[in-house]
Amino acid sequence: MKKCDVICPFCGCLCDDLEITVEDNRILGVDNGCTLANAKFMGKERLTSPIRRTDGGWEDINYDEAIRYTVDMLLDADRPLLYGWSGTHGEAQCIGVHMCELVGGIIDSTTSVCHGPSILAIQEVGHPGCTLGQVKNRADVVIYWGCNPLEAHPRHMSRYTTYADGYFLDNAFRDRTVVVVDVRETETARVADEFVRIKQGGDYAVLSALRAIVRGKGDMIPPSVAGVPRSQLERIVRMCKDAKFGAVFFGLGLTMTKGKYKNIRNAIELVDELSRHTKFTITPMRGHWNVYGSNEVFTWMTGYPYAIDFCRGIAFYNPGETSAIDILARKECDACMIIGSDPGAHFPRKCVEHLADIPTVVIDPVPTMTTAMANVQIPVAVSGIDAEGTAYRMDGVPFRVKKVIEPTLPSDTEVLGDMFARMKEAKGL
Amino acid sequence: MKVTLEVRPRRKPHLPIEAEKIVPRTFFEETDGLSVFRGNKELALEEIFSVAIEGEAASVDGVEITILGDSSRIKRVGEYMDGGRIHVMGDIGMHCGNFMSAGEIVIDGNADAWLGREMRGGTIRCHGSAGDFCAAGYRGEKRGMRGGTVEVFGDAGDFTAETLAGGTVIVHGNAGDLAGVDMKDGVLTIMGDTSMACANMSGGRAYVHGTVYDMIPTFRNIGRETVGGDVFTRFAGDIANRGKGTLFIRNYKYMD
Ligand code: SF4
Repeated sequence: MKKCDVICPFCGCLCDDLEITVEDNRILGVDNGCTLANAKFMGKERLTSPIRRTDGGWEDINYDEAIRYTVDMLLDADRPLLYGWSGTHGEAQCIGVHMCELVGGIIDSTTSVCHGPSILAIQEVGHPGCTLGQVKNRADVVIYWGCNPLEAHPRHMSRYTTYADGYFLDNAFRDRTVVVVDVRETETARVADEFVRIKQGGDYAVLSALRAIVRGKGDMIPPSVAGVPRSQLERIVRMCKDAKFGAVFFGLGLTMTKGKYKNIRNAIELVDELSRHTKFTITPMRGHWNVYGSNEVFTWMTGYPYAIDFCRGIAFYNPGETSAIDILARKECDACMIIGSDPGAHFPRKCVEHLADIPTVVIDPVPTMTTAMANVQIPVAVSGIDAEGTAYRMDGVPFRVKKVIEPTLPSDTEVLGDMFARMKEAKGL
Repeated sequence: MKVTLEVRPRRKPHLPIEAEKIVPRTFFEETDGLSVFRGNKELALEEIFSVAIEGEAASVDGVEITILGDSSRIKRVGEYMDGGRIHVMGDIGMHCGNFMSAGEIVIDGNADAWLGREMRGGTIRCHGSAGDFCAAGYRGEKRGMRGGTVEVFGDAGDFTAETLAGGTVIVHGNAGDLAGVDMKDGVLTIMGDTSMACANMSGGRAYVHGTVYDMIPTFRNIGRETVGGDVFTRFAGDIANRGKGTLFIRNYKYMD
């Protein structure tokens, strides 16, 4: 049986046109998805029961034991960290915030290691954004800065930019100009109309130079800025000013390089400057399928988008102090629950070492590199495959991800709901 | 009044202690029942410090607090300080002197990040090095430090004097990336080197006696000028931001 219009729960594109072939509650095939989607839907490495570390290995335990262990661990801790959240749905994230407030811990999502700097910049100067539908139908100039969608968001260009039809563009493929700005010639750079290669760490300077040129002050710019000739910068500014609708997309090549969130502020202020001449927008290329959702949920529940410290009973936010990497590297938490993320694969060694030193519980359908640091792992249904819930696309549009097969394991919402109920009971609430 | 606080050894020494009560006014007004936080646990001050108080004070300016022992994870000391003196004999944790408006803080060792955040007045002298966001603002705030003096005798981290809107910041060593970024007013002096100095500045003055690496290309070179006997190149900017700031630099290097 074919299930149509299925949403892919892998990257921030949340492609909603997948067709999944299902027989006997097993997924047999994926149509329309990219290779990442295929791997996600066809993955077979799932755990079937909670596991607990023993002296020499692992033992199976039941859900009751695993949940009890986690509840006791979080209630006992002075400063527990509840990290991850980007790989689960909004309803589970909501329960996570309630739990964090109750135990007096810190809640952070993968935002702090991806687009956290983008949010810091948006808090300073706002966000001139739009939906991906607007970009698809209107944008005649698209700039990808510090991102490589052909490999990280494989269908972004075919669904929304280069290869997509546009309602207000006669011949979208011919009429759209695509510019790629990067430190190396990526796959995406090879299919762009213009590639701007900048020196590592030179993004801020190039953005400042573009702003000055847009403001008619190009005469003062040196002949070359971070490896980019002034003539090329002037050509790009002309192209942007002549555009009917421009869209900038940026990735971790801009957020996580020298200059950090000030790069994003500079990019937003460039877009703001260009919008005095034409219509321009800017959108972060969000990675995890529901990382944007974690920011939405955390913001409407706590007032802050990530890295929220509830230890004093009220929400305090200060990335760099209350963000997961900083807390783990400085050994400033004494227990950790990880859900919907694999910090063991991505975090610096110091952080991973601290995870191994403190009680750690992982909630994840499959064994991951973080499993090696965990005391207990609780397998769950996969949101968008055998669990459903709300997710937000990279442009902030919410979707309901559906299940395509019937679950044999509890969902994140069910596991966290059970934990929260037991915590309330323990606290006499 | 002399208050001596000696940090006791802790079972979980890395967990930060939030101690915003450690400020002269607290001891001037009330010395009993003071508490600090270790994560989500509220603890009596005496659980974290051995406390000795000698004499009395006629005003808050008569209170001097001395902190001994490993205070590198003690946060928010001197927050909202409005008089008196704090002497930290070792290192101090984040947010020392947040929002302080008067008085003096002297740190013999290093200070962690956000030293003198959004400070309004008074003086902070750090004889070691300071972390990132020294004399800076808070997330999303348009204005950071607005008055007073922060003097760091070692190095300072990235984003030193970010959104500086008043007062004086002096770093005797080097400062990290983007010192004086988005500064609006006040005076920033760096005796050593820094990089991307004063990006997007819209007002105020900055002096860099060493070298600015990765110089922002949108500052207009006004020419050579002698200040206090030293020859600087004077720049106006940041032009990308209609900038009315002034930047004096001994040496600079563009990323070209
Ligand atoms: S581009 Fe992203 S959301 Fe779309 S199918 Fe590929 S992995 Fe899934």
